[in-house]
Amino acid sequence: MRALPTLPLFLALAALPASAPALAQVRGVELRTPRAFGYFQGDLVQVQAEIRTDPGFSLQRPSLPKPGPVTYWLDLRDVTTEESRGADGSHVIRLRLTYQDFYVALDARALEVPGFPVTVESAGTNGSTTAVAQVPAWKIGVSPLREVQPERRDDPADYLRPDGRAPRLDPQPALASAAASLVLAAAAGLLLARDRAWGMFGRRRGRPFALALKAFRRLKRHQQGDALYREALLALHRGLDATDGRRVLADDLPDFLGRHPAFRAQARALQDFFAASRLAFFGRDGAGAAARLPLPEAESLLRRLGALERSA
Amino acid sequence: MNTLPPGDAMLTDWRDAAARFERAIGKAVVGQERAIRLLTIAIFARGHVMLEGDVGVGKTTLLRAVARGLGGAYERVEGTVDMMPTDLIYHTYLGEDGRPRVEPGPVLRQAEDLSVFFFNEINRARPQVHALLLRIMAERSVSAFNREYRFPNLQVFADRNRVEREETFELPAAARDRFLMEIGMEAPRDAKARRDLVFDPRFHDTDRLTEEVEAGVLDHDRIGTIAGAIQHAIRAEPAIESYVVGLWEALVRPGPAGIRLPGIDMERLVQGGASPRGVAFLVRAARVRAWLEGRDWLVPEDIRAVFPEVMAHRVFLEPVYEMRRAQIVPDLIRAVFETVPAP
Repeated sequence: MRALPTLPLFLALAALPASAPALAQVRGVELRTPRAFGYFQGDLVQVQAEIRTDPGFSLQRPSLPKPGPVTYWLDLRDVTTEESRGADGSHVIRLRLTYQDFYVALDARALEVPGFPVTVESAGTNGSTTAVAQVPAWKIGVSPLREVQPERRDDPADYLRPDGRAPRLDPQPALASAAASLVLAAAAGLLLARDRAWGMFGRRRGRPFALALKAFRRLKRHQQGDALYREALLALHRGLDATDGRRVLADDLPDFLGRHPAFRAQARALQDFFAASRLAFFGRDGAGAAARLPLPEAESLLRRLGALERSA
Repeated sequence: MNTLPPGDAMLTDWRDAAARFERAIGKAVVGQERAIRLLTIAIFARGHVMLEGDVGVGKTTLLRAVARGLGGAYERVEGTVDMMPTDLIYHTYLGEDGRPRVEPGPVLRQAEDLSVFFFNEINRARPQVHALLLRIMAERSVSAFNREYRFPNLQVFADRNRVEREETFELPAAARDRFLMEIGMEAPRDAKARRDLVFDPRFHDTDRLTEEVEAGVLDHDRIGTIAGAIQHAIRAEPAIESYVVGLWEALVRPGPAGIRLPGIDMERLVQGGASPRGVAFLVRAARVRAWLEGRDWLVPEDIRAVFPEVMAHRVFLEPVYEMRRAQIVPDLIRAVFETVPAP
């Protein structure tokens, strides 16, 4: 809701024609409008009603007027509320009302905007007390848009005012944001294609040996001795498995080299590796395995295979 | 790679004997090296074997050759629809003097010396006969004539052809589980072996052909002892143990193991089977294979070499997939080996 202009016009302070206890409970109702005159057909009329009540009271929302036609020439467009504590300890309820005036005035005149009651209630331990605050009727001055007897024109179309000129909009920001969205969409599409291995990403080979080497180097910091040696062999195994898309056992080496000729250069080293792995994992002969393929040699084999897979 | 400790000279000698046995059979049955190797493994694992295949691929010839090479008493029966368990145990007839006679049937005739019992066309026999066979296979004993007969060296070889389905009885799951292996036999692919089989008259007379096999290459009485020694001598490291358990788990629950086969609901594919006995048989056979390869420890290749024959018939699929079993199970086993890491 827009803030009302700084010069509020004090309109009315209603002494409420209600029962004596209600009088004590509702301390006063004040209406403020930006101006009391100069409204044309179609103008929005802002008004703020400030209801001051005893502490402990609050607004009963269903009692607020519903947006819609008020009289034949006036619509209520919008009602918002705001509650706060006043300086004197009273409870302040502010209603911001927006009306729209449809009165086709032929001369300047004052019209009365009808008032309405608003219920406030205080919920206590012994049940709730309600009181009615009457927002008073108030007047606005409406003015005609044109003279009653306009100047005579030959062409009736001349009575119409020319259309207002629409401001020239600058397309630059819209174009820029469209371009930015397009770039973002393309980037997201690329990410998706990479994730789903579409198009050119489908042809991109993984680099299992490089990954295995990386994982092994991480492990190197935490482990040593026999466990580390086994990890090195496992890294080689997993690299071979991932390269072939299946589990490669020692007897599968010739087939593996047939399917991946790039690794043929390392055939002898791979044979040593499989022999060492068999000894280490299944032959209970860690020493024999380490003699066949020492740990530095295993790591270097992993590195050489990584280099081969890059060039393959 | 000979890593058997020299102290186990007996095992080494027997390995040479096993190689001689394989060569002898290979001369009579050409192009079936894999089947011969698996049969040798079954003999040293003391397991019963079912041969399956088309008609005329040499199932019977192979079994006859093996029985001859193995030595010991040999009996053979043909499965028929009207065969009853008693037909295996005794035989009644009227003697020349007109008095009724009862004589032992094929199972009891050779008494405890029986080493190979060969059941031809086993799926033509009725479930009653399968039940008797189950007892013979599981306990190597049978009750007859108020006493119990034991067959310590008995090995049952059975065959069935997979062409006919009329008047046949599917073996009950319990009986199938008693077979160590089901070996599928196909005609050899090798062009030379095919030419020889068709044109060389040597292969036309199967009686003469099996007689060419050197009799008793293996001493059948001692195979039981040596089989036990093999099982104790071949080590299985923790890595291989976890590998086998991983394979087992992936075979029974392929879905959670990450196996996907096209057009198959992996969560509902396998109904059951792959019994602990089956997996124990698998390790037993793998140990024999390791021994034949000259190692005293198991490697994953040993498991893989015997896995399809030992495990395929122990997996029971959901009925919707059962008809396509011959295609699905090999795919499943291949996927299992492509999925489970070793070591």
